[in-house]
Amino acid sequence: MKQYDVTVIGGGPAGLAAAVEAHKNGAKVLLVEREARLGGILKQCIHDGFGLVRFGEKLTGPEYAQRFMQEFKDLQIEASTLTFVTKIERSSEGFLLTLVNREGLSKILSQTIILATGCRERTAKQVFIHGTRPAGVFTAGTAQNFVNLCGCMPTKKCVILGSGDIGLIMARRLTLEGAQVLGVYEIQPTPSGLTRNIHQCLYDYDIPLHLSHTVTRVFGHDRLTGVEVAQVDDNKRPIEETKQFIECDALILSVGLIPENEIAENLGIQTDPHTKGPFCDQNLQTLHDGIFSCGNALHVNDLVDYVSESGETAGRNAAKWKRFNRSFASIEPSDGISYVVPQRINVADENMNTILYFRSAKVFDKVTLQILINEKCVFEKKYNHLRPPEMERLPFDFTAFGLKNTDTVKLLIKEDAQ
Amino acid sequence: MKIKKLKNKLKKSFPAFDVREENNCRIVTGESDNWNDIINACSMCVSKDKNVHVVNDIRYTGKAEEPMRTPVEQDSFLEGKEPDVLVIGGGISGATILRELSKWKVDALLVEKESDLAMHASGRNDGEIHPGVDLAKGSLKQHYVLLGNRLFPDLSDKLDVPFDRCGQYACFTQGALIGFVGLYALKRKYIDGCSDTKIISGRTLRQKEPNSNPDFKFALYNPSAGCICPYGLTIACAENAVQNGAAVSLNTVVTGMTVENGKITAVQTNRGTLHPKIVINAAGVFAEEIAKMANDRFYSIHPRRGTNSILDRKAGRLMNGIASVKVLELHSGHTKGGGLLHTVHGNILAGPDAVETNERENFATTPESINTVFTKQKVTVPDLTERDIITYFTGVRAPDFEEDFIIENGRNTKNLIHCAAIQSPGLTTAPAVAKDVARMAIDILQAQKLVLRNDRFKSERKAPPRLAEMSVAKRNRLIKENPDYGQIVCRCEEISKGEIIDALNAPICVPTVDGVKKRVRPGMGRCQGGFCSPLVAQIIAEHQGIPLEQVTKAGEKAFLLFGETKGGDAQ
Repeated sequence: MKQYDVTVIGGGPAGLAAAVEAHKNGAKVLLVEREARLGGILKQCIHDGFGLVRFGEKLTGPEYAQRFMQEFKDLQIEASTLTFVTKIERSSEGFLLTLVNREGLSKILSQTIILATGCRERTAKQVFIHGTRPAGVFTAGTAQNFVNLCGCMPTKKCVILGSGDIGLIMARRLTLEGAQVLGVYEIQPTPSGLTRNIHQCLYDYDIPLHLSHTVTRVFGHDRLTGVEVAQVDDNKRPIEETKQFIECDALILSVGLIPENEIAENLGIQTDPHTKGPFCDQNLQTLHDGIFSCGNALHVNDLVDYVSESGETAGRNAAKWKRFNRSFASIEPSDGISYVVPQRINVADENMNTILYFRSAKVFDKVTLQILINEKCVFEKKYNHLRPPEMERLPFDFTAFGLKNTDTVKLLIKEDAQ
Repeated sequence: MKIKKLKNKLKKSFPAFDVREENNCRIVTGESDNWNDIINACSMCVSKDKNVHVVNDIRYTGKAEEPMRTPVEQDSFLEGKEPDVLVIGGGISGATILRELSKWKVDALLVEKESDLAMHASGRNDGEIHPGVDLAKGSLKQHYVLLGNRLFPDLSDKLDVPFDRCGQYACFTQGALIGFVGLYALKRKYIDGCSDTKIISGRTLRQKEPNSNPDFKFALYNPSAGCICPYGLTIACAENAVQNGAAVSLNTVVTGMTVENGKITAVQTNRGTLHPKIVINAAGVFAEEIAKMANDRFYSIHPRRGTNSILDRKAGRLMNGIASVKVLELHSGHTKGGGLLHTVHGNILAGPDAVETNERENFATTPESINTVFTKQKVTVPDLTERDIITYFTGVRAPDFEEDFIIENGRNTKNLIHCAAIQSPGLTTAPAVAKDVARMAIDILQAQKLVLRNDRFKSERKAPPRLAEMSVAKRNRLIKENPDYGQIVCRCEEISKGEIIDALNAPICVPTVDGVKKRVRPGMGRCQGGFCSPLVAQIIAEHQGIPLEQVTKAGEKAFLLFGETKGGDAQ
């Protein structure tokens, strides 16, 4: 049986970065990828804007992935593509993974596992769209796959529900390919995608954005023939009088992403209800010894640069991993914060330097972020703007604070007195 | 009740309607824009005489139903064919009948207007194999449910369709009802033949179903209840029939019939005119239309829709068997809020509800249906939540006003057999009903010619292998033989490319995304095909040798793509 120090599950940006970093830190690494090619979802993200933070230049998704794939290849890290992890068992020697691919089933032994499984899209039924079940209801990612990888048009005239980034990108992409995008409907009163995408993908192409609106019903027996849209009230309930039929041939959904954590859940790893990803410590190790999480499986990111960064954190720490008793202080989101990652600080680790990733719960202007340890403020930072679609990154070193496992760290927003 | 008395009673409630009796039919006439009035009026006219049926001739002036959906095909594929038996309808009834017919040396043909089998009620069914505990002696439903239930272990085994005798619980919060329900159980057990029914305590219930409501005081338990995949079984029966020499023609709609001297001499379809010796009407919600064409309309179907929700397999732990809270209702009519069922695929199914409708093919879902079911079933299992829903769908049942099956020879038309008004528990009863219906057909044929048994009938049918459920050794062996079995296409359900290709190579090939989904399940999981549908479409295109944009979701009109992008062959 083959043995590894680190097995990375998922060959997208998080997994590639994790594998490279683990290798650089001396680990024997295997990367397992379900699809035929590495790169994950970046393969179909042919628009630019990737890598601004990391490389200071605007790359397309495939270009961004290529940089990591090249390094991965140069370092001669082992990858197993078209391979699916069907089972993970614990043994006294480490983790026993059962892999399935065209050669058959095989078992490998690994000291640590990095879950870099990415996320999936929320579907029409998960946002309770009713009516018929025709062809022509696509998640934005599926539509993107058809257009960019298959070279086929999933629509000529569509409505997009949700202003998530992929939906915005697809609004522009479909327009460029000659389709008519009748409008983007967003149930929230504020857009859920990045501001730059609202401008570059919608406004630049005169595609209307309807906030506080949703799609209530789908029509058509075979192919979709139209949708019903409506304005929603403060409780997000459709207002009857505002219901309106729109003739179109497709409904494209960009209504949220859900971290893929079926493997973690099967292993009984606790997940955070806010992020839908595993609870992790500053090393991005889950509460399960030897299992790490990164990228969109950990929490949904809006920039791939941070996906890679978390992959590197997980890779580095997985390579250095040794079994020792961890002991945790918890980090909790408080007023105005929707989530924070990591959710734990391992106080038994002498290094408590970490990168905090968080999102605000609503739009804030001119506010102060505070970090409290046991209700005592230890850090303040002023922000001109905080918006839920834009994840914030804050390096913070807890080492000097002498944290104990009974301590609670809180992140909260203080609105400045006007 | 004398018809005169009935007339008066009807007039009192519904002055706009009238009823008359002729040829063992109670024909209700009038005009209304209120569908519920029509249903209530017709139900009021039901006779105690089982031979007498209500025929609804009330003109509905409300929102008209859309015309019956028909296939696009127009050819002469079936022109001039003279099958011994023509089965109309590819639901569970038609498919089981076809399989029974294939045990004989007869030329049997099944026509189905949709692009696949089990597209209406049989594909939208909850899959429960009923114990018959809710049925009193004397109805066809009750007769066949007991017979049918017993056939499932053997049938599912032979046809390689998973079946789970998981048991059913009718749960009560009112402890005081135990005496009443106990008597009910005794009657069902000793008089109505549901021999295994019994009362269990709340404690026993919670041992079997730990997530059921702690307030349940007792339950009526039926170990003989089970569940099966309803469309899987329909497809399996039809495939097995085809393997044994019967024929299935999909996308084939019956448009008319020529009836001469009490006999159907020709059946017109979009694919040519046939001249069958016998016609079996298993047309579900359209059975009345077929009866009318055959000049043998003596009953009316009133569509009743119901919506089921499927929950993520993660919620599968909520229920091991089938259960529903029961409240005492004076009018113990039909399903009202369904139940919870642990499907053979590990999901929880919630539903269905029951709503009268004039639209036989309106499968649109509404938020109200989901709410009805969930409000009720959260009592059964308090942890139940809408957040676990991965999909929902609506089906339309095909009951008559007598709320019993119609399994009999034509009354005016001699070479016609009705297998109509099949509603719940029609899936359970189908294998037993099919034996009788096939026998009736063979008896008619025997009068004309000698019909021999098909001595080469093979009762076994193999489903595509389910690799993820196999032992390591067996799975390895299959992958070595065919590496496609090692290439996972659907991550949620762990379905390989090889299994998808097997579905396309099956005796009845339905090369659409939904056709493949129904057979081997890619896209049935939590991502609902988000990841795998482009891959499945590509495998279909490759297998059929067609461009990707010609692959459809279901049928010819449900196309997925509009041709290539500007860049053309981006592949």
